[in-house]
Amino acid sequence: MKKLLITILIMFTFATPALARVNIVATLPWIGSLANDLGKDKVNIKILVKPYQDPHQIEAKPSMILAARDADMLIYNGLDLEIGYLPLIIESSRNPKIQPGQRGNLDCSQFINVIEKHETADRSMGDVHPLGNPHYHLAAQNILGVARGMTQALCNLDQEQASFYKSNLAFFEATLKEKQKQWAQISLKGKRFVAYHRFFEYLAQEFGFQIVGYVEEKPGIPPSAGYIEKLIEDMKRLKPDAIITTTYYGKDEINALSQKIGVKSIVLPHDVGSAPGVNDWFSLMDTVLKSLQ
Amino acid sequence: MKQGIILFLLLCLPSLSGYAFAESNIESRIRTLEETLKKQEETIKAQQKMINEMKEQIKKNEIATIPEGKEISTEIKKETKATGLFGGSALSNPNISLVLNTYAYSSNLTTDELKNRGISGYTTEGLDRRNGFNLDSAELAFYAPVDPYFNLYATIPVTEDGVEIEEAYFVTTALPQGNQIKAGKFKSGFGRLNSQHSHVWDFVDNPLPYRAFISSDDSGIDEKGIQYTYIPPLPFYTILGVEVLQGENKTLFGSDAAGGAHAYTAFAKASLDISDNSTILFGPSVITGKTKTDTIQTNSDFTGDTTLYGLEFTYKWKPTKYQGFKVQSEYLYRTQFGNLTDLNPGGIMKRLDRNQDGLYVQGVYLWNCWEFGVRYDTLSLFKDDYILNGVKQDQGRRPWRITGMADYTFSEFSLLRLQYNHDESDVTGKPNDELFLQLIFTIGAHPAHQF
Repeated sequence: MKKLLITILIMFTFATPALARVNIVATLPWIGSLANDLGKDKVNIKILVKPYQDPHQIEAKPSMILAARDADMLIYNGLDLEIGYLPLIIESSRNPKIQPGQRGNLDCSQFINVIEKHETADRSMGDVHPLGNPHYHLAAQNILGVARGMTQALCNLDQEQASFYKSNLAFFEATLKEKQKQWAQISLKGKRFVAYHRFFEYLAQEFGFQIVGYVEEKPGIPPSAGYIEKLIEDMKRLKPDAIITTTYYGKDEINALSQKIGVKSIVLPHDVGSAPGVNDWFSLMDTVLKSLQ
Repeated sequence: MKQGIILFLLLCLPSLSGYAFAESNIESRIRTLEETLKKQEETIKAQQKMINEMKEQIKKNEIATIPEGKEISTEIKKETKATGLFGGSALSNPNISLVLNTYAYSSNLTTDELKNRGISGYTTEGLDRRNGFNLDSAELAFYAPVDPYFNLYATIPVTEDGVEIEEAYFVTTALPQGNQIKAGKFKSGFGRLNSQHSHVWDFVDNPLPYRAFISSDDSGIDEKGIQYTYIPPLPFYTILGVEVLQGENKTLFGSDAAGGAHAYTAFAKASLDISDNSTILFGPSVITGKTKTDTIQTNSDFTGDTTLYGLEFTYKWKPTKYQGFKVQSEYLYRTQFGNLTDLNPGGIMKRLDRNQDGLYVQGVYLWNCWEFGVRYDTLSLFKDDYILNGVKQDQGRRPWRITGMADYTFSEFSLLRLQYNHDESDVTGKPNDELFLQLIFTIGAHPAHQF
């Protein structure tokens, strides 16, 4: 009996530090990476979407429900990007802490300035996001907002470690400032690109380049042959600097176009982990900007 | 701070130069300027030193406070910004969607022959299909959070015969971790196909074991009742569930079988990710209850007890949006005992024992916008006991069916499906060779589908 009690006591002593950690479930890799920068060893992070997956096409797998069941905080992109699986995961998680309106439910899009809102949208326009363009993570201003909001949310949830999270944020902001100085050397002003999907609009806004056309006829809908013909004509006239796409789709299409017109094609990592060496948000931006040069 | 000083100096400059002009002494003016510049330089140097020191400190992680002017915005903007989870506001209106499920049908049998085409030894219920055009339903679905404690769902198919309430239930969202209650009218968690809406099935119709044991059409075990589910804290996904149901399903139970709720379900499902892209889901289910039905033999009534056991298995591999493979199978075993009363003049009551089983296996391959599927389903696989007063009845050869299917997805909201069945389930009658051309459309905000 005594032995059993001791064993139980030992188990609890060892279990306590693990319990003290905040369990975070992040939908996208960049969100997980940011949460890791801010929470470091005080958080456990599970990421639902793999770096090479198309974030629009995710299915609610039972393993995701299990991860959400044990989460103290669920952090997601928002702007309808996760609408195909996340509401189901939240409900099926049977976890009251991460339900909408709770402290453990964090929509990162509330901390950014959304562009491309569509007051009137219907599905004949393709996979349009009426709340605005959801691919906002390739922009320093947005990430700064999200990092601050995330820190505040972490502090609210885990007040004991508030100063730790805040100092991590301060370090993140200092690093960001340094990086921004480096990025200011990269001149993309006036460059013109044709993109596969509406993925780079926030980046274009921040770095002053132009996206003059899209390979997708409508968001999320593969281009028809007729549309491609028209695009080729347009591109001959517009002479863009390059055709760009992300690692998860459009590669074959832009390579074919590139060969046909003689404009170079660039495949950019879309998220943390989707290319070698891209292991946090900073290196993601580094790689994207370097490739666009 | 630095900016402030520079701004101040800049503001000082004009007044200084004005003073110099008044003196109209260029040399003294230059001297003044030089001094100012020197002071400026010193200030900048001091500032830079301070900044460097601060940076050092930050890097060492020694300070917990945020540098001056960098207070974290404490307000999380909650104001009017819509959260992107459910898309816009569901306050004034719930999320509403309409699913149109319609098909053209062709069979070598007449509509009357189809209507009377049961599976002998199993069910007398026939097929409600017509050669030509068929409207399965235009299914309205509503859902929204009720308050911080409940979400509400309603599925209301509108058919040519009228309006039904297929489902209308709430689920809890605030019970302690892992627990959930669902109550109202809902599709039972028994088995795999049963809990899915027919418009997400890979084939137009339900497989033979479902037809024989659960329902002739695609309605399934869809009952008023209450469900409790629990996800235990295990390293892999498992869900355990129990249900108490009214038991009105015509094939399994019947509304008059007992005074109150008279069907009970238990199920367990487990899932593992074999790799990043492949997942399996499997588990047993059981449903048991009192039965009073007239679907066993024509002009006969049966009263007794029924238990249906199920085993399900699903494997899904989906590396990209444009490629995938899915295998799904369910094995059902039904045991039933009670009294079968012949309602014909001079008919008598006999003791009936039925122990029968069935299986379906299906595979679907996804390639770009296309899906290609095959399905094989059969009954009396391992067990075919139809025993009247202790005498086993011969039901003839084994009922079976083979199906081929191809569908094209224009977008995730529209689908065109072509399906061919060669059906040998009616062992006394002719085989049924049937062809479906199905169209499924979704408009509005439809809830995300289960795995």
